[in-house]
Amino acid sequence: MVTEILEALFLILAVLMAAYLVRHYIFTLTVLKNASKRKETNVLTESAVFQPTVSILIPAHNEERVVGRLLQRISELTYPKDKMLIIVINDASTDGTGKIAEQYSAMYAHIKVIHRTKKEGGRGKASALNAGLKHANGEIILCFDADYYPSADIVEKITKEFADPKVGAVQGRITVLNEPQNIVTRLVALERIGGYRVDQQARYSLGLITQFGGTVGGVRHSLLERLGGWDESILAEDTDLTFRVYLAGYKVAYVSNAECYEEAVESWRDYWKQRWRWAKGHMQCAFKHWLKVLKSNKLTLKEKIDGLLLLNTYFMPVLALFSWVVGVPLFFIKSPQWFSIAWASVPISLYSFVGNFAPFFEVGIGTYLDGRKRAQWLIPLLIFAFLYNILICTKALTDLAISKLLRKNSNHWAKTAHSGNGNCYIMN
Amino acid sequence: MKERTTNIQYSFLFCSMLCIALCLLLSFVFINPESVLMLIVFNFLFASLMFPLKGSLARKTCLLLIGNVIDLFWNYLFFLFAFLGVNLFGEGFNGLYLILNPFANLVWIISFWSISLTALAESESRKTGVRIGN
Repeated sequence: MVTEILEALFLILAVLMAAYLVRHYIFTLTVLKNASKRKETNVLTESAVFQPTVSILIPAHNEERVVGRLLQRISELTYPKDKMLIIVINDASTDGTGKIAEQYSAMYAHIKVIHRTKKEGGRGKASALNAGLKHANGEIILCFDADYYPSADIVEKITKEFADPKVGAVQGRITVLNEPQNIVTRLVALERIGGYRVDQQARYSLGLITQFGGTVGGVRHSLLERLGGWDESILAEDTDLTFRVYLAGYKVAYVSNAECYEEAVESWRDYWKQRWRWAKGHMQCAFKHWLKVLKSNKLTLKEKIDGLLLLNTYFMPVLALFSWVVGVPLFFIKSPQWFSIAWASVPISLYSFVGNFAPFFEVGIGTYLDGRKRAQWLIPLLIFAFLYNILICTKALTDLAISKLLRKNSNHWAKTAHSGNGNCYIMN
Repeated sequence: MKERTTNIQYSFLFCSMLCIALCLLLSFVFINPESVLMLIVFNFLFASLMFPLKGSLARKTCLLLIGNVIDLFWNYLFFLFAFLGVNLFGEGFNGLYLILNPFANLVWIISFWSISLTALAESESRKTGVRIGN
């Protein structure tokens, strides 16, 4: 009896993981197909017709090493200054972040600084963004993390998508600034290529759930107000907003050429902290939205399927570990022919989660399309990131289960430290 | 002249297909069904995702052939290793082989995939004279 249950469980897990693999395969094939027939549109001509007012929110908690770089870049953006308001939210910083922001505010009239005290601030990004939203007056709300470095015409590229009234949010592309720094930053860069060049692009092209990443993107102000701003009880406030936008009947657009550089985490310790936050936040979103997604009459069937797969992404590494735990004793108890075949297919499926849960062929095709010849050599090393992610997601799920059992919603925002080492890669 | 080139290309493709079929057969007869499954997965992914990329058909077919030959040798080596292990340590070693074999396969598949992509990107950049970034 126990053996039969284990066999059934193992088979279900294998099928579930194979479903993710097929999904990523379709994504890769779609991007490959579109790459050959892609046409560049003239962004500036289109944006000349549609130029809404924009408020850019920059939450910053102890970001003195990077915030000056971003504000300098923001001052160089080509979008009309009279249509932009930049709001820096100095979120209870104990370093020189506020002072640097004030210096830029004194130089540029369209840069405004909000200072939050220790009492009201330091409670995470969602809380800081909500504080900034109170001061925003633009039709579109854009967000940038303090360690980012956008392309000069990024606002034009993002805002032009809002000309379509069905678009509630727009996401740009994130690439790694400090990629040559070490092996961690190089692997994160590969994950980003898989995630944005292929995953996001394909989801948008196929009319599935395009993810709003919470930075390098914008949301319609009226919609955001209607939704009640960012949910401070969720660690992945961006994924939460994505689903709320879709459930409200709007879409998220993805603009691949709206590029912005980020300073990636530089150590495995920081990688753990960041991914733990993403994993726990994503799992919170899964519990919050899965039923709403299923019941929604605003979503199409393919959006529902993709939405559920997206919501459960961070559970999959845990299930991968579980399939090993189930599979190994099963082999020693009983080993029928189908089992050895199923076992052979499991690792391929497992590999579909490598590189921020993108399989090797997806990352490979992404790097090829980006013309990243040498980066391709590092793809086999993504297995280490994957194994690390199994531990991270298991820990995140355990923490979430404990907080749910104790009915204690303790959302500690583990802030990603930014060293400013990316500065040396910016050419003057 | 053009017709002759096309004929050569078709003959080359036909021979390659025969070689791949032979690799699958040898894998089934001399190794095990799991290695055939791996080879089918590799061939499917390679044919559907690598062939639409820019680059000559001959180069891509050669890469696919090399992949098949590597798979055959790799799996045969592992099979011999398992055979030796069972003789030395008993039947329990078979379990270890079953668990490790797919992972060992992934090592060569992914490495070979990276090399193939680089080879294709390199030929493309040489042809267009454009320097592709790192």
